[in-house]
Amino acid sequence: MVRLMDIGLERLKNMTIDMAKLSENTVSTAIDAYIQSKDVSGEIHKWSEELRILQDEVSELAVEVIARYQPVASDLRFIRSCMEISYGFSRFGRYAYDISQVLGTFGDLSKCDKSLVKKAGEQAKEMIRMSIKSFTGRDAELAKKVRNMDSVVDEIYLQGVENAAKTRQDDFKCSVSALLILRYLERIADHATYIGDSVVYTITGERSPRK
Amino acid sequence: MAYKFEVEQVDAWFGAKQALKQISMKIKENSITAIIGPSGCGKTTLLRCFNRMHELVPDARVSGRLLFDGQNIYDDDVDPVKIRRRMGMVFQRANPFPMMSIFDNVAVGLKMNGVRNKAKLREAVERSLKRAYLWDEVNDALDKSGVSLSGGQQQRLCIARALAVEPEVILMDEPCSALDPTATAKIEQLIMGLKEQYTVVIVTHNMQQAARVSDYTAFLYLGELVEYAETVPLFENPRMELTEQYITGKFG
Repeated sequence: MVRLMDIGLERLKNMTIDMAKLSENTVSTAIDAYIQSKDVSGEIHKWSEELRILQDEVSELAVEVIARYQPVASDLRFIRSCMEISYGFSRFGRYAYDISQVLGTFGDLSKCDKSLVKKAGEQAKEMIRMSIKSFTGRDAELAKKVRNMDSVVDEIYLQGVENAAKTRQDDFKCSVSALLILRYLERIADHATYIGDSVVYTITGERSPRK
Repeated sequence: MAYKFEVEQVDAWFGAKQALKQISMKIKENSITAIIGPSGCGKTTLLRCFNRMHELVPDARVSGRLLFDGQNIYDDDVDPVKIRRRMGMVFQRANPFPMMSIFDNVAVGLKMNGVRNKAKLREAVERSLKRAYLWDEVNDALDKSGVSLSGGQQQRLCIARALAVEPEVILMDEPCSALDPTATAKIEQLIMGLKEQYTVVIVTHNMQQAARVSDYTAFLYLGELVEYAETVPLFENPRMELTEQYITGKFG
């Protein structure tokens, strides 16, 4: 039996998936552009704004479905998760924009060692991919794995902090810009973890403590 | 936390038809418990087992133990009339006595119990009407007929009548199903207030009502207790697939 609420839930799911694709691409483009010393801030700003608007639309639709149908159980958990997940995607957009701003702020960084950012970026991108896949495939096991990956990005970020603390005056620009980006990636990884947690909650009803 | 009721493997029949199958549950004192489930699942039958009203139906019978304050109310030496006096009951349709005034509708139980002192009766009527959130609306019209009131007021009058005899438990069988949303909201507010002094068990078809007012919810299906849990977890994350199917409207 198709319920009236199912139409709203399907739209909510599709909007969230649209956000997933856009946010993944936005983060990926921002990281790659930094590594290649390419200015993409204009594009990233546009996509980040789109994500923010989409998040508002998800929230509005979620509230409408709640008001109209008073969902409970798995329906209620799904709606709550869509709101949380869409917030995560909008944060991806925002952090991607922050990453894209680094080049503009610091100028030419082409001579800098970007290996830590590259490593953390790959890990964060993988976490985003997995969190999205777990959402679209309703895969709680995959979602739980995202949480386990978070510590890798945390460790790389701490490594960046240590590097910055020991930095010489002439390396200042490279280490501070890298540290900023690592900080953004660390936050992105946290949000990917939260998205995984929301997927687990949708399926099992279990909630993980926020970091 | 003391249990007001402890239901142990209760079966109930209407003739050869079994209406309840091995129901076991405990109901805490000063709590509100909602019983939900589709039509014919045994909700009302279970409610009527709590005050031994089920057995009033010809050919109806009950087995198992149902402890009320630790005493099995189905023991041979228990007087069902005495048990019923300790529990007020409110039905789907408000049923004030049509020939009686508002005052007499509330006082009738006390009068039947032998109370004749007018001051005592007046005090009990006022107290009960206040507890039922009806006093302010009727205090200048106590001699008017009970059926002159609106549907929602009549239902609150019936609740006041039940409260007047100082019961320990209030059993409610779909008390709002014939009421509009405003009257329903007043009854729900009243139910929430009742649990300070009484243990409330409410049968309802309206799942949102169960979610709004109850502390615990029992889901019955085909005479069996499928799930019984605290209300919020049950509506957020039911443990049983059947509960999930029913409360999300995916049934059938």
